[in-house]
Amino acid sequence: MFILRFLLRRLAQGALIIFLVSALIFTLLRVVPGDPVRLMAGGMAPEALIEEIATEMGLRDPIPVQFTRYMSGVVQGDLGQSFVRPANGAAVGGASFDDSTRSARAEVWDLIAETAPKTIQLACLAMVFALMIAIPIGVWGGLHPGGWPDRIALYCSSVFVSLPNFWLGIILALLLSVKLKLLPAIGYGGFAWTILPALVLAIEIAPFIIRSLTVSVAQIMGQNFIDIAGVRGLSRNQIIFRHGAKNAAVPLLNLLGVQFSMLLGGVLVVEFIFDYPGLGLLTINAVMQRDFPLIQGIAIVTAAAFVLINIVVDLLSTLIDPRLEY
Amino acid sequence: MTSIDTLAAPGGRRAEARSISSRIWRLAFASVEFRIGLIVFAVLLFAALLYPELSGIDPTKMNIRAKMTPPLFMGEDWSWAHPLGTDQLGRDMLARSLVGLRYSILIGVTTTVLMLAVGALIGLVAGYYGKSIDTVLMRLTDAQLSIPMIILAITILGVSRPTIPSIILVLGLAGWPVYARVMRSTIMAERKKEYVRGAMVLGATDFRIMVLLLLPLVLPPMAFVAVLDVARMMIFESVLGFLGLGVQPPTPTFGNIIADGRKYLLNAWWIATMPGIFLCLTLTSINLMGASLERARNTIYGGA
Repeated sequence: MFILRFLLRRLAQGALIIFLVSALIFTLLRVVPGDPVRLMAGGMAPEALIEEIATEMGLRDPIPVQFTRYMSGVVQGDLGQSFVRPANGAAVGGASFDDSTRSARAEVWDLIAETAPKTIQLACLAMVFALMIAIPIGVWGGLHPGGWPDRIALYCSSVFVSLPNFWLGIILALLLSVKLKLLPAIGYGGFAWTILPALVLAIEIAPFIIRSLTVSVAQIMGQNFIDIAGVRGLSRNQIIFRHGAKNAAVPLLNLLGVQFSMLLGGVLVVEFIFDYPGLGLLTINAVMQRDFPLIQGIAIVTAAAFVLINIVVDLLSTLIDPRLEY
Repeated sequence: MTSIDTLAAPGGRRAEARSISSRIWRLAFASVEFRIGLIVFAVLLFAALLYPELSGIDPTKMNIRAKMTPPLFMGEDWSWAHPLGTDQLGRDMLARSLVGLRYSILIGVTTTVLMLAVGALIGLVAGYYGKSIDTVLMRLTDAQLSIPMIILAITILGVSRPTIPSIILVLGLAGWPVYARVMRSTIMAERKKEYVRGAMVLGATDFRIMVLLLLPLVLPPMAFVAVLDVARMMIFESVLGFLGLGVQPPTPTFGNIIADGRKYLLNAWWIATMPGIFLCLTLTSINLMGASLERARNTIYGGA
C-alpha cells in the first residue's frame, strides 16, 4: 500500500518534470537563433522558399500552438519525425533535403530505440569499471580516516576528476589502440569496442563514488553498533561487509541517481570521440543539424530515464534501509 | 549562543559566520593537499599571466618552416626556442597552452560566480518564502537537473555563434540548480531558528532578513565548495571548445588546440597532449584545494 502510494506520487511528479523539460527545450530551440529550414534547404535557397517550407512545417506558428500540437503527439507516443534523417538509416546532409519525401523520414522514436541499447551497454560497463576502481580505494580510505589510505583516496579522486574525458579518450586510444594494439577504438564492431569508451567514462565517474564511499564508510565505522559487533565476536571482515557495506550502499545509490545526468553528459563526449554509435553521438549530430524533433525526443527520453532511475533508487534505498521514508 | 544575545547584538551572528569561514580556511590551509594545490595553481596562474607577454612569443604567429617541432629532448629537431614544440602551423605550444589557460580560468571562475549567484538567489527565495513560490521554483530546478547540462549547453551554443559572454551565460545558467537546492534546504532549516523569528517579530523586512542575516551566514560555506565547480566549468569549457562550440580560433583554447592536434596525433602527438597536461595540472591543483576546503567544511559542521 505504501509502495503504491509512493509510486503514484512520484510518477505524477515525474510526469510534471518531463512536461517542464519538454517545454524548456521546445522553447529554447525556437527562441535561440539558427533556422533549421535554412540548413535543410541549403544556403542558396531563396528566402521565399524557406518561408514556404517553414510555414508548411508549422514552424512559423506561435510557440504555444506548436508546443500543444507536439505534446498531443507525444502523449500518444508519437515523438514525430526527424527533420533530416531518412528512414533507411543514413544521415543526409542539409543540401539534399527534399520536402516531397517527408513521409520517408525516420521516426524519432526508432532512431532513439536503435541507439539506446548501445549506450545502455556502454553505461553499464562503465559503471562496473567505476565500481571496480572506486570500491577498493574508497572503502580502504574510509576505514582509515585521516590516515594515508584516506589521503590516497583524496589524491586519486582529485586526479581522476581532473582528467578531461575527451583528452583522456584521445590519449588512451593512442596508447592502447594505436601503439599497443590491445583494443579497438573507433566505431562499433562488437563488445570489444565498448571497453575503451567505458574505461574513460569509468574514470570520470569513479572520483564521485570514491568521495561518497570514504565519507560514508568512515561515518558508519565510527558508530556504536560497529563497536558492539566486535564485542559480539564478529570478525573485522564480517563487520565491514555485513554492517559497513550495507549502510554505505544507501548514499552510494543516491549518488548514482544524482550523477545520472553527469554520466549522460560524459557519454555524449565519449561517444563522439570514439565514434560510438549510441544516443550521445545521435544527440551531437542532431544538435549540429538543428534536428528539432530529434533533440526534443532525446531530451524527453533522457528526462524520463532520469525520473525512473531516481524512483528506482529511492525504492531500493527503502528496501536496504527500511527506516527511510519518501 | 542564545537567542537573546543574537537579538541584542545582530553583529554577533555575523561575527560567528566570519569565524566559521576563517576556521574552515585555517583547517584547509593546514593540510598538505591544500598547500600543494595552492602552490601549483599559483605557479601556473603566474605563468599564464606573464609568460606570453614577457617572452614576446605570439601564440597565433605561424612559422611553417618550424612546423611540428617536437618538445625538448624528444625526436631529432627539437630546439630551445619552443620548449613544448610547435603545432602543425609552427605556432609555439607553450605560449598557446598558457593563453588557453587564461581563457579557461577566466571562463571557469566567472561561470562559477554566476551560477552561485543565480542558484543562491533562487534557493534563498524558494527556501525563505516556501509554499507555492517554493513549489514552482523547485519543480523548475528538478526539470533542469534532469536535462544533462552539456546537452543544454551544446543545444544553445550549437545553434548560435559562441562568444565568451554567451559561453559564460550558457554554462552559468545550466549549472545553478544544484546550488539552488543546497541553498533552499539550508535556508529552510535556518529560518525556523529563533534569531530569524526574533527579527521578524521586531519588524525587520524580508529583504533585510535575507540579505543581512541569512546570506552572510549561509553563502561562505557554499562558496568554498564552489571551488570544485571552477574546475568542472573549466572542463566544460574545454569540452565545448573541443566540439567547436567554444571560443573560436584563432584564439587558442585547450579545447580547440586538442581538437586540432587530434588530426596530427600519429605524427605529432604533443600537439594534443601538451595542452591536456596543462589542463590536468591546473584542474588537479584546483580540485586538491577544493577537496580540502570541502573536507574542512564537513569537519567543522560535523563537529560543531
